[in-house]
Amino acid sequence: MTRNTRILMSVIYWAFVVYLFVPLVLMVTMGFKDSKFIGFPIRGWTLDWYSEIFRSDEVLGAFGYTMAIALSTTLLSLVIGTWIAAFLGPHKFRGKLIVFALACMPAVIPGIISAISLRIYIQFLQLDTGMAAIILGHTIHNVPFVALVVMARLATLPQSHIEAARDLGADQFVAFSRVTLPYLKPALIGAGVFCMLLSFDDFVRSFFLGSYQPTLPVLIFAKLRSGMSPEINAISTVVLVITAILGIWAERSMRRMNKGTSV
Amino acid sequence: MSNDAQTIVHIDNMTKRFGNVAAVDHLDLKIRAGEFVTFLGPSGCGKTTTLRVLGGFEMPTEGRVILDGADVTRLPPNRRNVNMVFQDYALFPHMTVGQNIAFGLELKGKTKADIDDRTGELLDFLQLGGFRDRTPDQLSGGQRQRVALARALAPDPKLLLLDEPLGALDAKLRGQVQVELKDIQKRTGKTFVFVTHDQEEALTMSDRIIVMNRGKVEQDGTPEDLYFRPQSRFVAEFIGDTNLIGGTVRGMENGSVLIDWNGIDVRGAAHGHRPADGSEVTASLRLENVLCHPQKPSDKNAIEGRIVNRLFKGSRTSVDIRVGGEGALLKAYLDPEDAGRIQDDRLWVSWDALHLSVLQA
Repeated sequence: MTRNTRILMSVIYWAFVVYLFVPLVLMVTMGFKDSKFIGFPIRGWTLDWYSEIFRSDEVLGAFGYTMAIALSTTLLSLVIGTWIAAFLGPHKFRGKLIVFALACMPAVIPGIISAISLRIYIQFLQLDTGMAAIILGHTIHNVPFVALVVMARLATLPQSHIEAARDLGADQFVAFSRVTLPYLKPALIGAGVFCMLLSFDDFVRSFFLGSYQPTLPVLIFAKLRSGMSPEINAISTVVLVITAILGIWAERSMRRMNKGTSV
Repeated sequence: MSNDAQTIVHIDNMTKRFGNVAAVDHLDLKIRAGEFVTFLGPSGCGKTTTLRVLGGFEMPTEGRVILDGADVTRLPPNRRNVNMVFQDYALFPHMTVGQNIAFGLELKGKTKADIDDRTGELLDFLQLGGFRDRTPDQLSGGQRQRVALARALAPDPKLLLLDEPLGALDAKLRGQVQVELKDIQKRTGKTFVFVTHDQEEALTMSDRIIVMNRGKVEQDGTPEDLYFRPQSRFVAEFIGDTNLIGGTVRGMENGSVLIDWNGIDVRGAAHGHRPADGSEVTASLRLENVLCHPQKPSDKNAIEGRIVNRLFKGSRTSVDIRVGGEGALLKAYLDPEDAGRIQDDRLWVSWDALHLSVLQA
């Protein structure tokens, strides 16, 4: 690589970084603006928007509701996804590919289609719109991601580890819980965090399947309709910080554990 | 083997088929308590399958496995008192050395104090004292191998199975571990069933070697038996270097078999069988059993020959000797002092008739 192409490459890279971060920086900045209107010039700074959202029952309620949905979804998705991976991973059978493709389909179906079909489906199940329906919708969407990540990890588990556990007196269940599960831990953490983020972030399914209590994205959408205000920026900034911390933590702990288990 | 009270395992006419292929074909043998038995053979000979049947990882297609008087053929691995050292050691990466060793003890329902005692005892026994709280990725290959051994010994199995456990070690370490392993077996008095394709490993450690080929036993005997008295061409060629001598049986003379080898009379021994006069046979003669003489010796059976090829190998020289006519070629080792005294490549060769083994097949 010549000197010129190297310079060009780094210019393109930094241009991309700027393109990526300017909107975020603007959003965060506006959350501290002492005015009702978003935009320049900024004449004064304030933390009022933050104190307002932390005192607002509406925002806190939506946040708690969204968290509860995300946690339940994650737990359910991990259990079902791991079960599918454990079932599809080692066994060879006719039509395995078809079963696998079917299990993965919810991940690639457009959100709006999936949301409408789920809305119709819950009527069949005589399930009311609300928390249970949203959890159901999010879980169906998340399971394929868990199954894929867990399967990839499972494929690297040497068969001899399971055999060694069996050899030392473990039945199938004990071998799974004491050898397979710990081995899957990094994959489960990664997949779990991804599920949390997907669920926390979801708008379309939550909108179609929700009732009067809005999730946080639905609440932000509702607020947008009554006009942009720095309050929305403040909420979004809080969400941004939480998701960034979660993502970085997951990445780091996965890397640390992968290092430890590469024997 | 006649004494059944000593038999710890009886593999009773066992066959294991994968599809149409018989990996093990009607294997029938008994292993005595306290023996170091090695299954030796090339890959695909059925040695590993036999070991896995003993461990409970494969179900035999036919036949039974009797462990200490009880039929364990259908028992899963966790319900038989047999432990295995795996080829890749299969140490649990998320557990420390101590936890790995304790795993089998915990599942046996031992108390915490018992588990700690036994773990400590094994760590000392295998010189792993300072490694209790390390994880497997912090250990060297040799240390991992010892932890795998300690873990398998911990539940006090009736049989310890070892599936090529030295394959992953470098050559220098392997020699040292062979000695250690044999020593551990002696000190624990355990029955070791070892699987390898490495003949040197088998000869060094075993009390008894079972050479397998294509799912069947080729020969079953002590290392000395196999080395000096091979019964088949396969065994003679698989273990060590040898001269294979093909000829016609002319009859018996003073207990030796007289063979016409390209017009030269040679004397050999048939161990446990009597080849018919006039039959075509092959015999095996180890290189180190060929005695080379610079001058004509007093042994009237000595044959004159001529060196046609020399390879210097440090402590000795490997030579090809032509004796008599075409095709009558012998390989032998020459001592350094003899090598200097040989003139014009002329020499005499002889051997003890017991060392020329007439093969059965």
